[in-house]
Amino acid sequence: MSATAAINSADTRAVTNEVLLAVENVTLRFGGVTAINGVSFDIRKGEIRAIIGPNGAGKTSMLNCINGFYHPQEGRITYKGETRQRMRPHVAASQGIARTFQNVALFNGMTTLDNIMTGRTLKMSANIFWQMLRLGPALADEIKHREYCEEIIDFLEIEAIRKTPVGRLPYGLQKRVELARALAMQPDLLLLDEPMAGMNLEEKQDMCRFIIDVNKTFGTTIALIEHDMGVVMDLSDRVVVLEYGRKIADGTPDEVKSDQKVIDAYLGVSH
Amino acid sequence: MLYRETGQFKTSYANDMVIFPIRQDRIGVYLLLGFAFIVLPLMMAFHVAPFRTDYFLLAILLPFLILSLAAIGVNILVGYCGQISLGSGAFMAIGAYMAYKFGTGISEIGLPPMPIVIAILLGGLSAAFFGVLFGLPSLRIKGLYLAVATLAAQFFFDWVFLRVKWFTNYAPSGSVSAPELKFFGYLIATPVEKYMVALSFLTLFALVAKNLVRGNIGRQWMAIRDMDIAAELMGIRPLVAKLSAFAVSSFIIGIAGALWAFLRLGTWEPLAFDINRSLELLFMVIIGGLGSILGSFLGAAFILMLPIFLTVLPAELGVPITTETVSHLQNVIFGAMICFILIKEPLGFARLWQIGKEKLRMWPFPY
Ligand SMILES: Nc1ncnc2c1ncn2[C@@H]1O[C@H](COP(=O)(O)OP(=O)(O)O)[C@@H](O)[C@H]1O
Ligand SMILES: [Mg+2]
Repeated sequence: MSATAAINSADTRAVTNEVLLAVENVTLRFGGVTAINGVSFDIRKGEIRAIIGPNGAGKTSMLNCINGFYHPQEGRITYKGETRQRMRPHVAASQGIARTFQNVALFNGMTTLDNIMTGRTLKMSANIFWQMLRLGPALADEIKHREYCEEIIDFLEIEAIRKTPVGRLPYGLQKRVELARALAMQPDLLLLDEPMAGMNLEEKQDMCRFIIDVNKTFGTTIALIEHDMGVVMDLSDRVVVLEYGRKIADGTPDEVKSDQKVIDAYLGVSH
Repeated sequence: MLYRETGQFKTSYANDMVIFPIRQDRIGVYLLLGFAFIVLPLMMAFHVAPFRTDYFLLAILLPFLILSLAAIGVNILVGYCGQISLGSGAFMAIGAYMAYKFGTGISEIGLPPMPIVIAILLGGLSAAFFGVLFGLPSLRIKGLYLAVATLAAQFFFDWVFLRVKWFTNYAPSGSVSAPELKFFGYLIATPVEKYMVALSFLTLFALVAKNLVRGNIGRQWMAIRDMDIAAELMGIRPLVAKLSAFAVSSFIIGIAGALWAFLRLGTWEPLAFDINRSLELLFMVIIGGLGSILGSFLGAAFILMLPIFLTVLPAELGVPITTETVSHLQNVIFGAMICFILIKEPLGFARLWQIGKEKLRMWPFPY
């Protein structure tokens, strides 16, 4: 499926009741620290699911469990109907889980275009001997995937920086390139870890627009960690709230906003 | 204003992805290749200016070609994949000795002497095999620790080729001589012919290396180098990326080793591939530019030219200095340059070249 086809065909959002990912009773410890403590929630196909909570609540750790970078000591993760005790990173990637990082984790020595092209790695098939010659299947791969990446570059409006080494880009653009790289994987589930942290208002608005557009036009399911409550309330279908590694609330933005425990957690009421 | 891409529009992605997207660069490279393959050999044949004796050809040009090839190999591993290696000399040695074994035949398994090109390629493949083997620790350790592991490879193979007589066909002196250099039935004997062989290998493998680093596998190497965690979460497998870098890198280094032994030395001892060679190659890629094929050439040229420059210049100025001073001076300059480059311009000469070109594109209007 090409990106433009997707853009033309799907304009309405397709939030379903089908569960794409379910996390059950996940507990993750680092030595004495319990980063996640018996948390369960699910993500439905097509929705934007926010994960919020104060610093150190275990949000990033949760994403790391979902894509197999951390292995929880207890609990199960069910993705696309398959239940696992632990995910493995490249399995998660090949099954369509992509992510961005809280602290930008781009490949700094490479250009924007090459960064995005790495997102296509798993979809390229030419063997190393064809690549040596850069002919036949290898050249076909390069051209086909370049075309796909160019569509994403258009989509995220980063045409002007495609040949710039990403290390030289300002922070806001780096975040955008990181999103582009994740999108190049054509993910079914996109994990965004604070995609708007450190951005100014205008950049935030752009990023919000891109997230909504990705969800709408590609039908990508999104799990979003974000601190800006306004953004969370506007973007997300459902919100899960973590505090000290535990889940304290789960529901629509309105339900969560009026939940006493959430208000306490955010206003710092003593426990 | 001669050097511009103005008016050169790319109408397809294939066009945009060629090695030298700017037409002037392309013409420049064709000219350079024409010069190297046609003009220089003619000059050599007629003993024009620098080729009045064979000195320039044998002591500078030939080593430059072969060490550039080795530097490309080192750069793939160190510059592109970010895996530091101090064992390059060992992989050159494996290439040289195994090419020798295949070239003289391995009677124990009834293998007759192989044609020289095949022997050289098999030498490269043997180096690739041991490269992968000694690359295995890279899956667990990084940086300094990996450097030490590769250093172990260096000392191990130094010892093997000195002590295991099988590799030297039980020659009492321990030194071995290259088999007859028959390339496709044509006997290579003169310096010009050696030059052509080395140049052909270099051109071929430089192109192969360039194709790899700008393709899928090259992006995987660089991704592992720049941010291994992110790479892994994108489905790049560190095992495949790192070991393929070790394999390709040692293959090319092994070929260079075989060429060094056969074309440059003719007769050699294990000492020819000791730790000093490893360090020299590492200096070449650091000074020339980590992660740049062009940088490998620049680094090799610099390191080979410096001692000559240091000998000739003071002599011209009437300040005679001893060879000993030259070699000390050389170490001082290498040391200083490496510190300077690592701190100021980690991408080496290749980056300076690129900056120069960007300036030239703007010239004469810098804004
Ligand atoms: N790799 C790690 N090693 C040790 N402790 C960790 C590690 N990763 C996270 N933690 C701990 O787990 C807790 C949750 O961290 P994190 O998931 O980053 O929180 P959040 O993203 O919600 O701010 C913190 O107390 C943090 O110190
Ligand atoms: Mg976090």
